[in-house]
Amino acid sequence: MTSEIVDAAKIEAEQIKSFRDFLFSYNKLSELCFVDCVWDFTSRTVRDQENNCAVNCAEKFLKANQRISQRFQEFQVISNENALAMAKKAG
Amino acid sequence: MAASLPQLDVAKMQMVQDLEIEMMSDMYNRMTAACHKKCIPPKYKDAELVKGESVCLDRCVAKYLDIHERVGRKLTQMSLQDEEAVKKLQGEMPRV
Repeated sequence: MTSEIVDAAKIEAEQIKSFRDFLFSYNKLSELCFVDCVWDFTSRTVRDQENNCAVNCAEKFLKANQRISQRFQEFQVISNENALAMAKKAG
Repeated sequence: MAASLPQLDVAKMQMVQDLEIEMMSDMYNRMTAACHKKCIPPKYKDAELVKGESVCLDRCVAKYLDIHERVGRKLTQMSLQDEEAVKKLQGEMPRV
């Protein structure tokens, strides 16, 4: 019973952490796309051009992140295999 | 990394593991930011990654991890040298 409570607390903490990470990346994305796309301050409304740029920026950012994540996972698999092979050799 | 440490109790092991995971995710975030900056020009006419950008990202990840490892090796080497120097100094101290 107590272990269930501990597990539940752990899961909740993880969920909060991943939500936190999500919010941070959202902030980073806003900053990046704003800095790259918005240059004109003669009007307070977002222009079509700026809107298109920001929307494309967000989509491209996600695609780039997906690609980076794929490559990173591949490297991790390879380095795990190497570590295992080394351990086998040593052991 | 964890194997080189002396015997630790479970709580400390957990802490070390958590720290390693945290450092890994920090490294990953920095890599993502660096490769984005280096490979994606700040012109967003299109939402698709073009060929050159994709290839750049692939190479950037490979190179970043390579450099990460090299810097790690250098740091280890430097800290070992440092430790030896300190030991040497401590060994000489009583005689002076």
